[in-house]
Amino acid sequence: MRLFDQLVFNRQLFMRHRVRTVLLLLAVSIGVASVILLTSLGEGARGYVDREFSALGNRILIVLPGRKETTGGGPPIYGASPRDLTLEDANALGRIPGVLAVAPIIAGTTTIAHSNRSREVITLGSTDAFFTVRQLNVGMGRLLSARARTEPLAVCVLGVKVKRELFGSRRALGQWVRVGDRRMRVIGVLEERGESLGLDMRDMLVIPVRTAEQLFDSPGLFRILLDIAPSADSDKIQEQTLRVIRKRHDGEEDVTVISQDSMLAAFDNILATLTMAIAAISSISLLVAGILIMNISLISVSQRRKEIGLLKAIGASSRQIKQLFIGESLLLISMGSALGISVAFALIFVFAGLWPSFPLQPPTWAVPAALLVAFGTGLVFSIMPAKRAAALDPVLALRGLQH
Amino acid sequence: MNFRDSSTWVFRALWMQRTRTFLTIVGFSIGIAAMVVLSALGEGLRVFVLNEFTQFGSHIIAVNPGKTETFGIGGLLNTTRPLSLSDATAISQMPNVEEVVPLVMGNAKVKYNQRARYTDVAGVGGAADKAWKLEIAQGRFLPTDDLQRARPLVVLGSKVKEELFAGINPVGRFVRIGSERYRVIGVVAPKGEFLGTDLDDMVFIPAGKGMQLFNRQSLMEIDIFFNPRSTSEAMAHRISRLLIERHGFEDFTLTTQDQVLVTMDNILSILTFAGAGLGAISLLVGAVGITTILMITVTERTAEVGLLRALGGTTQTVRMLFLGEALVLGLIGGICGVLLVAFLLLLIYLFVPALPVALSPTIVVGALGISMLIGLLAGSQPAASAAKMTPIDALRAE
Repeated sequence: MRLFDQLVFNRQLFMRHRVRTVLLLLAVSIGVASVILLTSLGEGARGYVDREFSALGNRILIVLPGRKETTGGGPPIYGASPRDLTLEDANALGRIPGVLAVAPIIAGTTTIAHSNRSREVITLGSTDAFFTVRQLNVGMGRLLSARARTEPLAVCVLGVKVKRELFGSRRALGQWVRVGDRRMRVIGVLEERGESLGLDMRDMLVIPVRTAEQLFDSPGLFRILLDIAPSADSDKIQEQTLRVIRKRHDGEEDVTVISQDSMLAAFDNILATLTMAIAAISSISLLVAGILIMNISLISVSQRRKEIGLLKAIGASSRQIKQLFIGESLLLISMGSALGISVAFALIFVFAGLWPSFPLQPPTWAVPAALLVAFGTGLVFSIMPAKRAAALDPVLALRGLQH
Repeated sequence: MNFRDSSTWVFRALWMQRTRTFLTIVGFSIGIAAMVVLSALGEGLRVFVLNEFTQFGSHIIAVNPGKTETFGIGGLLNTTRPLSLSDATAISQMPNVEEVVPLVMGNAKVKYNQRARYTDVAGVGGAADKAWKLEIAQGRFLPTDDLQRARPLVVLGSKVKEELFAGINPVGRFVRIGSERYRVIGVVAPKGEFLGTDLDDMVFIPAGKGMQLFNRQSLMEIDIFFNPRSTSEAMAHRISRLLIERHGFEDFTLTTQDQVLVTMDNILSILTFAGAGLGAISLLVGAVGITTILMITVTERTAEVGLLRALGGTTQTVRMLFLGEALVLGLIGGICGVLLVAFLLLLIYLFVPALPVALSPTIVVGALGISMLIGLLAGSQPAASAAKMTPIDALRAE
């Protein structure tokens, strides 16, 4: 029997049992489509995180005060340590070759008030380098100048939301606001930009680092961000950072350095594992579809007893009969898979149109994996019915008898 | 046709086609099992987290400095609106307040002779052991004396004790934290992790000392444990009035344990639903299986249906019979699925006892209900097509 003959034969069968065929296709395509769609959700989340990190476009090392002996645990997020990380430390780190810019950060919460409106906001004390490192652009006015590195200027840059809440649509530039117990002049408003790495820059206030030292009455830095050159070796700079700190802190290595790459890698790992788990769970539906195929094949073997008898009587071998039934299942699987893949990609396309900011895309392994599972189960579950068909005695089968 | 007759009819019909009934049930029960296992995992996680949170009791209110909830770590940052030790003292004098734990956290090197360890340092009040249910292995916990005049005393976590004082009794000895010497007065028994923070790799010093050590003007948090005679709303209201009176305006954030629990519960319930939703895809495929098989059955038994109608069975009867078949398939599938899950959970329980799983009666009843419902839905189309046959055509079909 040639392949073409088999296809014609199968087509006739499918046409004869249209409802059954359609339902089987439905079952297989639900399975395949769900594997592809769900893994692309996981992959989309991964892509989203990736993009958030690389939106910064540069490589950043983060230095935090304090250190924990046990590695592998979380970083010391408290940001409090007996020996403060100071502005002088930050300046020393800036002299390491390969470090392009250093942004020291003092963070705190304060009240900002203008006329009768006030608002509690997170306030970052930093320098002009902060905007370069975090790639923040000015929307109106200007950003902190280089003088902010050394002088406690009474100026501030507002996030968009803070500006809106305090000034509404009125002009904010040049106005005086009260920050904590000080008066400061608004010199700029940041460009509108979404949340980045969990930090909502719209609801923030940036002031010169020296001013923040005075405002919070503490020289302790919350973080130091290092922007490192694309050509520099991140590990080496990490080592040098620790060496500089050790020298400045009487031999104590009481800081933690986190590289952006390692954070990204950690996220990537978690999300990749999650995606795999989701893929495994959704392929259970393909197993169920496989059982359904076996059930239908068994029914079709018993219904087509006479047909099989006839085939055998005119010389078809057991092998050919087996091939016929397995081929039928595989054909169903391939049509169902094709349908499922098209539906999944159509939905992804629609989704991409509705939410362009979320990069929904199936991981490269999703389609092959779905196909592999679908064909694997299809094959396994059609062997038994096919064997049963092949074992039929032609004479009895022609008469339509059981044994 | 009475109930007994119809159930005999349904069961005989299913029994005559054992293989296909069996396979349909297997498929459907795998679907149900997938859904139930995933929701049981979600539910287990929910129970686990809620237990973690309620292990210190549910009558807790936390006060953080600053009136913003951004970051969720507001207390860790500097603030121009400090919460002071005298705030904590004032709160502790309110009626119905049982314990007040001021808290300031940081990171420092703890040194004994040549051995040193970087570890978490918690500046707390003397009541922290009772409030956090810490057991004391050696010595005693920090004294509950005046918060303002803190003495340089330290209680070690069990891991810190092992690292610095392996084999020595540390009580009475001096360790160096930052630039000051602290006398060790006790060791806390191993407690394990709480939400990712290792409570054994930590030392406890008086809050006032902690503020000096980390050069901070404000506490990071004040935890208030109150007596069950008062409600969280009433307590929260009174505490906030007291603090407003002391500070002049509302420059702090109150979080009651109830609010935290509700938020956590919501998040974790969504997770449970997401798990169930993932499993439901397999169930959907199982339902398609029931429909397919019943469609085939209806065609095969056309003559039978014709005969039934000719003998006076109404379309309603025919519909009910096929629906009944679908319902039974769904129900048996559901029961098998739940049994399969129970078996799986038993294995999980035996081999990975750490994994929290909980098979609640709600889930079991829900799963059975859903399987019957889906059985009915899956059977409605085949039942309708069986009922639609005219008796004459149906009888002639053979």
